[in-house]
Amino acid sequence: MLTVGIDIGSISAKAAVIQDGQLVGSKVMLTGYNAKTAGEKVFADLLAELDLARDAPDRIVATGYGRNSVAFAHKAVTEITCHARGAHFQDPAIRSIIDIGGQDSKAITLNEAGGVRDFAMNDKCAAGTGRFLEVMARALEVDLDGFGALSLKAQNPAAISSLCTVFAESEVISLIAKGARRADIIAGIHESVAARVAAMANRVRVQAPVMMTGGVAHNIGVVKALEAKLGYPVQVSAYAQVNGAIGAACLAAA
Amino acid sequence: MDVMQPFYDICADPKAYARRWKARTGGKVVGTLCSYAPEELILAAGALGFRLVGGSGAISKADAHLQAYSCSLVRGALEDALSHRLDFLDGTIFPHTCDSIQRLSDIWRMNAHTGFHLDVVLPVKLNTASARDYMTAVMRKARSGLENMLEKAISDDDLRQAADTYNRIRATMKRLYAIRRERPGAIAGRDMHAIARAAMVMDRHDFLADLTRVVDQVADTETAARGDAKRIFLSGGVCNLPDVYGFIEAAGGAVVGDDLCTGSRQLMGAIDLKDDPIDAISRRYSERAVCPAKHTGVRTRGEELVRMAKEANAQGVIFLYLKFCDPHAFDYPYLKDTLAAEGIPTLLMELEEQTASDGQFQTRCEAFMEML
Repeated sequence: MLTVGIDIGSISAKAAVIQDGQLVGSKVMLTGYNAKTAGEKVFADLLAELDLARDAPDRIVATGYGRNSVAFAHKAVTEITCHARGAHFQDPAIRSIIDIGGQDSKAITLNEAGGVRDFAMNDKCAAGTGRFLEVMARALEVDLDGFGALSLKAQNPAAISSLCTVFAESEVISLIAKGARRADIIAGIHESVAARVAAMANRVRVQAPVMMTGGVAHNIGVVKALEAKLGYPVQVSAYAQVNGAIGAACLAAA
Repeated sequence: MDVMQPFYDICADPKAYARRWKARTGGKVVGTLCSYAPEELILAAGALGFRLVGGSGAISKADAHLQAYSCSLVRGALEDALSHRLDFLDGTIFPHTCDSIQRLSDIWRMNAHTGFHLDVVLPVKLNTASARDYMTAVMRKARSGLENMLEKAISDDDLRQAADTYNRIRATMKRLYAIRRERPGAIAGRDMHAIARAAMVMDRHDFLADLTRVVDQVADTETAARGDAKRIFLSGGVCNLPDVYGFIEAAGGAVVGDDLCTGSRQLMGAIDLKDDPIDAISRRYSERAVCPAKHTGVRTRGEELVRMAKEANAQGVIFLYLKFCDPHAFDYPYLKDTLAAEGIPTLLMELEEQTASDGQFQTRCEAFMEML
């Protein structure tokens, strides 16, 4: 059986193909203005890369905020359910997921079958999201890709007290003016994101083993800060960005 | 559904209804905040109780007096008062419940010009003998306060008749709740909301007549049971967002019960008509389900919520809280754990009156239904 999952997020569109329980390919591209076109394109491009005909998939499930604009999908399922299923596919032992994307963050707890037990979302505020890190990277004139590694060199992490992105940015600018080291400031920023997300995770009674997904999972500094706040090791998904699409493809096969 | 029209007409503009009522009857209108305001006394005085559940426009004037982290109920009500949208009120009753309503009372007294001002300083602990006596004394004081301010004597007979009307309303609402519990979908969520909203502002005799008509029709109509719908119980304070019901239904759920301040909490309990009327009315306010700003035991609210959710055979509980409502937020972690221990999953939704964030609310509802 060949199934496809399509995850239309606010920033990127993802697709994954699963055949007989094996992941055979995945793809990520920018969503852009039109979610409908993005869904069609990521689907067509991935099938072409894998040398598959358009009618090869037996079933297609769409997820993400644009899930209802994927007209050719057989079913739409929320990203919460898909993330849980995707993490379960990657490692059935996983009991909690922390997902930090560009514009929101989530904490999900799972049962033994990969179903959702509980979840919480922050989607009202940029604090604790990838956007927060982007704003800070700009203020510090550091490439976002180098953020994680640089923060590990911190000797004395700065304290960022404000939970608001705009006010935290002015704190960061004050720290720069005082001559604080970049690495220390970045470590402080990561701790602030981790504190925010850990509080949400504790609300849903997070349990080990914990997997982290979403684009921010690639930032080792945030991962380390989260581990310290949660008191658990955090496993970074090998498919952090396409985990939702993988979950959708698994659900399409179910 | 035709019999629903009167309720929708009122919900579309409750203030216009109150103005029309006043012009038609020459009667007086008394604003109330929260379901601990003794509406029976207002009715006994021949006046119209008008519950304030928030504002009807963007908030700007109220924020000169209240922090932005006060709930949209108190900010919205004050905004309406300061913008002269409540000029039809002859007075307002402030029950002593949460901090925000108490402080609103003082700000209102100094800044709003909506007629007389009556604080009903209820006990906080309700389950002691001294609290019962105190509650009765408070009700007696409220009665004489209203008599003075409305310039109308309230006899024991007036009180008994008003209590009788409320008993009938509450019994009829109970019937409707029972039908919905038995046959989810027999009445649409938005219809239920329109009825509950109208219950707080409509002439209570007219309300009872129109409500009875609806309940009789719902009872007699064969509706296809929504057997596949997930049974949802709503828990929280003030819900004045009819869209919420639409989202839950669109996501595959059906509401089978609630403990909302704008729902069953105002509609539970009966008044013993054989007793002294003030004693009997006080007893109902002491014994009905408590709001988180009142106390009848450390675990009472949790036990009550579990009992109601189980009685409704609910598969999940959705907490609907107004953002920044601290009494509800304080109780939330313990209520969530209490339900979890009984195997009942929950979802927390924080709402603000003026801004329902559609897409996000919908995603959470759908994810919750998928989870159940």
